[in-house]
Amino acid sequence: MSKLVGLMASAAILAVSASLASAQDTIKIGVTQPLTGAFAASGNYVAQGAKIAEDEINAAGGVLGKKIQLIIEDNKSNPTEAVSTVEKLIQRDKVPVLMGAWSSTLTLAVMPKLEEYKVPMVVETSSSGKITTSGNPYVFRISPTSAMEAKAFQPLVAKMGIKKADFLYTNNDFGIGSGAEFSKMLKENGVQVGVMETMDPKANDFSAQLAKIRASGGDTLFVTTAVEQLTLILKQAKEQQLKVRIISCGGSNSPDQLIEQAGDAANGSFHTVFFTPWFTEVTKNPDASKRYMDEWKKRGHHVGGLTEGFRGYDGIYVAVAAIKAAGKPDPEAIRAALWNVQVKGVYGDIHFIKQGPAGKESAQNEPAVYLVTITDGKVAKTTF
Amino acid sequence: MDQLAQHLLNATILGGTYALLGIGLTLIFGIMRVVNFTHGELYAFGAYCMYALVMLLGVNFFLALPMAIMLGVALGATIEMLLLGRLRGADIDTTMLVMIGAWIAMQNTEQWLWSGVAHSINNPFPAEPLILGPLSVSWNRVYVVVVALLLIAATYYLVNRTRLGKAMRATFQDRQTAALMGIRIDRIHTATFALGSGLAAAAGALLGPIFFVAPTMGDLAAAKAFAIVILGGLGSITGATLGGFILAFVEELGAGYISSGYRDAMGFLLIILILLVKPTGLFARKERIG
Amino acid sequence: MNRYLPWLFVALLASVPLWLTDFYFLHILITTGIFIIAAMSLNLLLGYTGQLSLGHVAFFGIGAYTSALVSLGFQVELFSGFTVSLAPKPAWFAMLCGVIVAGFTGYAIGKLSFRVRGAYFVIVSISFAEVVRLVAVNWVELTQGPMALTNIPALTLGAGAFEISFLRKPAFFILVLIAGVASFILISRLVNSRAGRAMIALRENESLAMSVGIDVTRYLVIATIISAAIAGMAGALYTHYIRIVDPDIFLFIYTVTMVIMVVTGGKGTLAGPIVGGIIFGFVPEFLRAMAIQPEVQWIIYGVLMVLVVYFLPQGIVPAIGRYSASRKRLPDADALPATSTQVRQK
Repeated sequence: MSKLVGLMASAAILAVSASLASAQDTIKIGVTQPLTGAFAASGNYVAQGAKIAEDEINAAGGVLGKKIQLIIEDNKSNPTEAVSTVEKLIQRDKVPVLMGAWSSTLTLAVMPKLEEYKVPMVVETSSSGKITTSGNPYVFRISPTSAMEAKAFQPLVAKMGIKKADFLYTNNDFGIGSGAEFSKMLKENGVQVGVMETMDPKANDFSAQLAKIRASGGDTLFVTTAVEQLTLILKQAKEQQLKVRIISCGGSNSPDQLIEQAGDAANGSFHTVFFTPWFTEVTKNPDASKRYMDEWKKRGHHVGGLTEGFRGYDGIYVAVAAIKAAGKPDPEAIRAALWNVQVKGVYGDIHFIKQGPAGKESAQNEPAVYLVTITDGKVAKTTF
Repeated sequence: MDQLAQHLLNATILGGTYALLGIGLTLIFGIMRVVNFTHGELYAFGAYCMYALVMLLGVNFFLALPMAIMLGVALGATIEMLLLGRLRGADIDTTMLVMIGAWIAMQNTEQWLWSGVAHSINNPFPAEPLILGPLSVSWNRVYVVVVALLLIAATYYLVNRTRLGKAMRATFQDRQTAALMGIRIDRIHTATFALGSGLAAAAGALLGPIFFVAPTMGDLAAAKAFAIVILGGLGSITGATLGGFILAFVEELGAGYISSGYRDAMGFLLIILILLVKPTGLFARKERIG
Repeated sequence: MNRYLPWLFVALLASVPLWLTDFYFLHILITTGIFIIAAMSLNLLLGYTGQLSLGHVAFFGIGAYTSALVSLGFQVELFSGFTVSLAPKPAWFAMLCGVIVAGFTGYAIGKLSFRVRGAYFVIVSISFAEVVRLVAVNWVELTQGPMALTNIPALTLGAGAFEISFLRKPAFFILVLIAGVASFILISRLVNSRAGRAMIALRENESLAMSVGIDVTRYLVIATIISAAIAGMAGALYTHYIRIVDPDIFLFIYTVTMVIMVVTGGKGTLAGPIVGGIIFGFVPEFLRAMAIQPEVQWIIYGVLMVLVVYFLPQGIVPAIGRYSASRKRLPDADALPATSTQVRQK
């Protein structure tokens, strides 16, 4: 009897799901972002930026005569869940192109699925080198790698007078990759590397690590993590009277949010960013920057998210440019078209170069990297 | 040496809030025998109340704390009357399952209302820490430990020196006799649960401004609370207080000298160890286990 | 008729890959099937021996990680200079290792934690799962921590021309079905045997069981070993299907999911976890189709669990059994569950 109930329930659900396969009058783009969990602040900003792009594009007529529709799934800052969202988007929603997954660990987790189902993905934030060197031809990254970031930082090492540096980074591909690249670059430039402390992405008490860093006696601390943890680190560093110069890497540091939430503790810190909303005149495409920023503020989104949301904005524009060039919402055609995409985005002039093993290269953009500092509760240019 | 002193100071401050959490749960788990899975949610609730009051409604930071505690007490009373009312005298398993259901519903309501993004609460304390020689501690944390100790003292007084407290202890030692003596059992159950919940809310309201307010913040807090209760012995307020400090010291020193990653594991390892070696806890009276 | 109904059900399920073309739905069936197997194993402890083990996901996760690590190969330095390394092994061997290690963990935990009962046991079980999770997060050299173990190979059996690969969903679905049926048969044999009756006896009244000479600890440990082994197998199936595993697999929320399946379905009945699993496996998809947010889904589950404990404390299966028995107006021994009102001696 109970088995019968189960059978009927299954049959009913089958019928319902079948009937829900709606007509294809929009072109769907799948988005997987961490909307909850340890990276929720940044994931939400990226999603907001993506939606601004969606509305702008649809207002201008969409692409190929149809409107685009973003299907945004929450990967909960978890790699297994990220894989599940990609399965959903590809199998159920049949999206021809994806954008995601924010954190390097999440992106690395979904990459096998991209190859299995042959659907390309625009990588908008992740920084681990592995993503474009694993031989996955379905990856198109518009964000810089940690190696690129470290290389851009190199000229400043001597100017800032860094003699001994310590590291504090989050215990995942993002943090570990950043720590590895920056420490390598510093050593090549004659800087002594002290301790390299790690923390769980979900941790909120760093007194143990900060005490060790203080004992190490370096003059600079490189921190790589999401903005939530960065806020706490700045606050706790001040509480523990850690008087070193703090430089945050990775670009997901939302300086305005730091000012608001860490207050005085944020003063004197440095941050590498890939977009400078405070000085749009130095960005490569001030028009795109202004358009994005105006709409962001008009929607009342938090100003701290400007340095993160543009990634979603640019990502969607890149995907749509490829759909247009491909002429049809077909994953293989879009993949081929992505290689030739040239978009004047907030990241700069987006184009792709080949990276990775020959024959199975991934695509990588070459964005600009900026270093800003916070003084007196405001973001300022660095003058080295 | 300075490092050690700093760790000890950090541990003392943390211990105060842990003690609050532990006392609240020892009242509910220890005396009422309810495996209270909602304890962590009351902790989160206290923090969210502070967020709503201070950040959204602009209430004064210091006034918001007692308000948050009162709200926690009210929520605790509601849960008890609504959910546990029918289950007086039922299996510990049954009440536990109901509490699990309530926990899931509460945590997801919080996430639904406030979204999964972590919120921060501004505090009116100066940014410069208080400097005591080579040690430093933020004013916010000093406030937290002072208030925590006051609340612990108040609870101790309430349970051991007032009539209400006497009624509570009587009810849970022997329900039938207490009822015969004219004690309103239902009211006592509600009051005890509400008191325990209020303390959890207080801990959350105090710690929320130091860290972040997020829907899952209660899970780890609840787990540590259970560790403290077991460490101190079920039903013993002194035990829970000392247990809170002991856990804080073990965590802080373990994180500082052994491994910062396994910090949170200390509490659980402690539970397992205690239960295997001395199940009654360090300070409990004699009682049969299981 | 009743006797053939389960086999009819199995036959129907076996035919699914032939007519179901929506691979996403097949995916849902597979993951639900795996969770049902885990729920059945929990039912053995929760329902039949009456032990409130809330750390069950630890066995699931240990099976998953062991299987993943053995099939990927690993190298760790245990202490200065002493390294342990293992070359990658075939997936079926890895899964076997997963089952054995999980079972062995069950044995160890069983021996240690059954010194305490009731609420204390609950807490020990939860703590154990949390410690395992934290080890998985922090022992990065072995488990890759938050970075997860990726590219876990799919299961393949046989070699050369006779090789069957379980990479594609239809094949894996049949595998899960076979595993599920096998677990079901194993558990029902155990429950209906002498050992099973001893377990039920100690659930009903432990002191009385002891007094008639039943070796309580021995039966509890047996139950735990088998329960853990089956959960470990479910975990191993999971890793070779999803092909990625990260420490969040040990989160308490997954134990809660299994508990909900068992309790609402009917603890202490064989069909209970299956019904519970079907409901809680499909309901999320159904709700998502109606555009209901995940948080609201979980709120509904929470409320549902509370309601079930109040109104259908035995679960759905026994309730249906009572209903159909009352309608037949004959005391139907098969339809009534193996539970009865429990009077706990404390």
